[in-house]
Amino acid sequence: MSLHEPKPLDVGETPDGTVDHDELEALLGETVIGREEHVNAPAFVVRPDEVQNALFALRDEAGFDYLSCVTAQQYEDRYESIYHLKKYDDPTQEVGIVVPTPIDEPISQTGEPVYRTADWHEREAYDLIGINYDGHPDLRRILLPETWQGHPLANDYNPEKPQVVPFRKHANPLQPDTRGEGAKSDTMFLNFGPHHPATHGVLHVKAVLDGEQIAHVEPDIGYLHRCEEQMCQQGTYRHQIMPYPDRWDYVSAGILNEWAYARAAEDLADIEVPEYAQVIRTMSAELCRIASHMLALGTFALDVFGDFTAVFQYAFRDREVVQDILEELTGQRLMFNYLRLGGVAWDIPEPRAEFFEQVRDFLDGLPEKTKEYHNLITSNEIFQVRCVNTGELPPKVAKQYGATGPVARGSGIDLDLRRDDPYGYYEELDWDVITEDGCDNYSRVLVRMQEVEESAKIIEQCVELLEDWPEDEREIQSNVPRTLKPDADTEVYRGVEAAKGELGIYIRSDGTDKPARFKIRSPCFCNLHTLREMTEGEYIPDLIASLGSLDIVLGEVDR
Amino acid sequence: MLQGAPLPERLVELLPFGSGPLGTAIAALVGAAIVGTLMMTMTAVAGPWAKRKVTAAFTDRYAVNRLGPFGLFIIVADAVRLLSKELIVPEGVDRPAWDLAPVVLAFSALLGFAVIPMGSGIHLADPEVGLVYVFAVASIASIGLVMAGYASNNKYSMLGGLRAVAQNLAYEIPLVLIAASVVLFAGSLQMSEIVAAQAEPLVDLGVVTIPTWYAFVNPFAFVLFIIANLMEIGRNPFDIPEAPTEIVAGYQTEYSSVYFVLIYLGEFLHIFLGGAIIATIFLGGPAGPGPESLGLLWFLVKIWAVYLFTQWARSALPRLRIDQLIEVGWKGMLILAFANLVLTAVIVGVIA
Repeated sequence: MSLHEPKPLDVGETPDGTVDHDELEALLGETVIGREEHVNAPAFVVRPDEVQNALFALRDEAGFDYLSCVTAQQYEDRYESIYHLKKYDDPTQEVGIVVPTPIDEPISQTGEPVYRTADWHEREAYDLIGINYDGHPDLRRILLPETWQGHPLANDYNPEKPQVVPFRKHANPLQPDTRGEGAKSDTMFLNFGPHHPATHGVLHVKAVLDGEQIAHVEPDIGYLHRCEEQMCQQGTYRHQIMPYPDRWDYVSAGILNEWAYARAAEDLADIEVPEYAQVIRTMSAELCRIASHMLALGTFALDVFGDFTAVFQYAFRDREVVQDILEELTGQRLMFNYLRLGGVAWDIPEPRAEFFEQVRDFLDGLPEKTKEYHNLITSNEIFQVRCVNTGELPPKVAKQYGATGPVARGSGIDLDLRRDDPYGYYEELDWDVITEDGCDNYSRVLVRMQEVEESAKIIEQCVELLEDWPEDEREIQSNVPRTLKPDADTEVYRGVEAAKGELGIYIRSDGTDKPARFKIRSPCFCNLHTLREMTEGEYIPDLIASLGSLDIVLGEVDR
Repeated sequence: MLQGAPLPERLVELLPFGSGPLGTAIAALVGAAIVGTLMMTMTAVAGPWAKRKVTAAFTDRYAVNRLGPFGLFIIVADAVRLLSKELIVPEGVDRPAWDLAPVVLAFSALLGFAVIPMGSGIHLADPEVGLVYVFAVASIASIGLVMAGYASNNKYSMLGGLRAVAQNLAYEIPLVLIAASVVLFAGSLQMSEIVAAQAEPLVDLGVVTIPTWYAFVNPFAFVLFIIANLMEIGRNPFDIPEAPTEIVAGYQTEYSSVYFVLIYLGEFLHIFLGGAIIATIFLGGPAGPGPESLGLLWFLVKIWAVYLFTQWARSALPRLRIDQLIEVGWKGMLILAFANLVLTAVIVGVIA
């Protein structure tokens, strides 16, 4: 980095890389009507008809090019949308934009022209809370069926009310369909899913085809919506929420997800985590990342190779070893529930030496297996022909859509919260952030494969640390009260680097032992939004490959 | 006498129906039944059992091993299972095209075996245009694919059918051109002549004599033909018309029960027919060590070798995209096939 000219400072940025919020407030000028203090960063209260002006100013003048999340919620007297802004260059520079709207007329200006990713976030806010976004290009429900009555997270929602969903028996499913370009076009409308071999779950992709080429594509999500946010709002901080994160990204990324909740809640309630527990967390989280990337690799190969053949089985074989290790550690293979607020559930299993040897055996075998994957997959010419320069996602577009994780890093965006917004023990360890500049399906695969190697490095260092840790200093949990009641109206938004990207949690407390609002910022949700940019104009097989390379888990997309 | 006359003519002598029209017809039927049964049996072994075992071997698994020795009885279980399923006829299918497609698919491949000399005297007919006949009947399958594709009233089937046609056009011409180079060597289209021409020794190494199998004489054509054959039978990397992860199952999406069995059967028969053509025109047909009556065994070994090759490709290779396949077919294979033909013509012209 030292070879580069230092980047000129944005408005509101201090030379030591923090945000001067007074300068930002001056920049926003008249649009601001107040200021709030959130645990993660200060937030400006902005008039609902000036949202775009405020966001444009922050994006173009102050360099906040990353809309991490939009949280909507209802108070007794008002609705509120919070835009959590960050910078791709330095995600620790944060600012919130709070947009209050009156209860009788919840209309707020849309942020979609500023950040494309706001499209889906605002649709979700409309769907679940009921805020209308003025000027939004396509304000429809996104998670619930179109016919749903009411907005489930609004205060006046009546869950007892029967949902009247008309059965459209007169619609002929086989009638000629010319959606996309008018009645005289040559295009064909095709549904991929909800039940389709390549959608990795219940995803519905509406595609308009021009021959074999994709003219238009639109993911339709919500088939796996399980009210995760609402369930978390009904659980107590201390113990009842932790099992849920395992069920968001349920393909072995459990501990990474748990960490997202743990980080947010620990910041909210000001809980310290002992260093020893941080090392265990770091190690187990990276094991999860390996398992998750192995699955991503296997299923992507399945999409490109076309059958449950060798590559898929190889990836699963290696994932199995990781799962065995995680089972030894947590007692579970899928839903780990291993992290606790203030630490982890229990120590490394006895005999410790045996466990460490198990981990070491896996790590020692990994380089050879990686070589095998490169021989079998990435160096295969047909594979390269299929993946290089397909599903292209230029960095500018990726940033507009709030892409994170391997998807962003495959587009050359150097963002990894483990390094850029450090938590756990990552800062003390020696490892690299992987980026590839290809912006295509191939780059995303390469990023994941190299990240497995980096994770292995991290695990190895953690194992060394844990082995030498003095026995009387092995504190696995700090002293956390049995009932946690954070101060009323404390708000926090925190993200961690999960396997798929930034998994962020917003929590607002109301003085009780349960959160008043619990919002999940799912990386898959944002990454899936880029599908259209990646695939329009390409061929059907590229659509399938791009979908695979995004590595989405529908449990996390729909929550 | 064993090799000479085609099977039906010898059956006429064995059967008590005389050599009139009736006797000839019955003998022909019996002969066809023998060949058909042989091929069906192989398909039955290959489909439910060998395919699983081979794929499992590639991925370090056991596969079927519960029923009977090596799990072989799974064939019976699978046959019962598949045939007892409900035959679902979707609304709006174009009958009878939808019903005929599986039949056309399966029988176009069976017809091809009529002119293949399988050794041990199993050779139904030996017309002078044998090789052309094989390609002609094998191509009928394309019609079956199109019928299945459009008649199913399913968009995935439609895409699969269209892909199948595009793919067929791209590979058929190179395939026939490469076969033509073999004809130039052999000087005949008759299958028995082509096999006989390969019996000459090419090199005598003392211990073993390498015969003039055209795979040895012209390895370039052999490799080209193997690739074109993978396209013909639609296996990886060219299984584009089915493409399970893209268009579900392509032209066969809407077929179930008996119709599905017929399509499945047709696919395997096509793999074996491809193997039989390769064995006949490149690998010396039924030739092999030992007495001539072992011919059938060697022939089957060669067919199965080709089958195993297709399964290997299936396990190890990614699938091409349809536009890339068309490019490979028209820009690559076609030119190479022409080059091979011209080269062969020059060589044969110079030597002769």
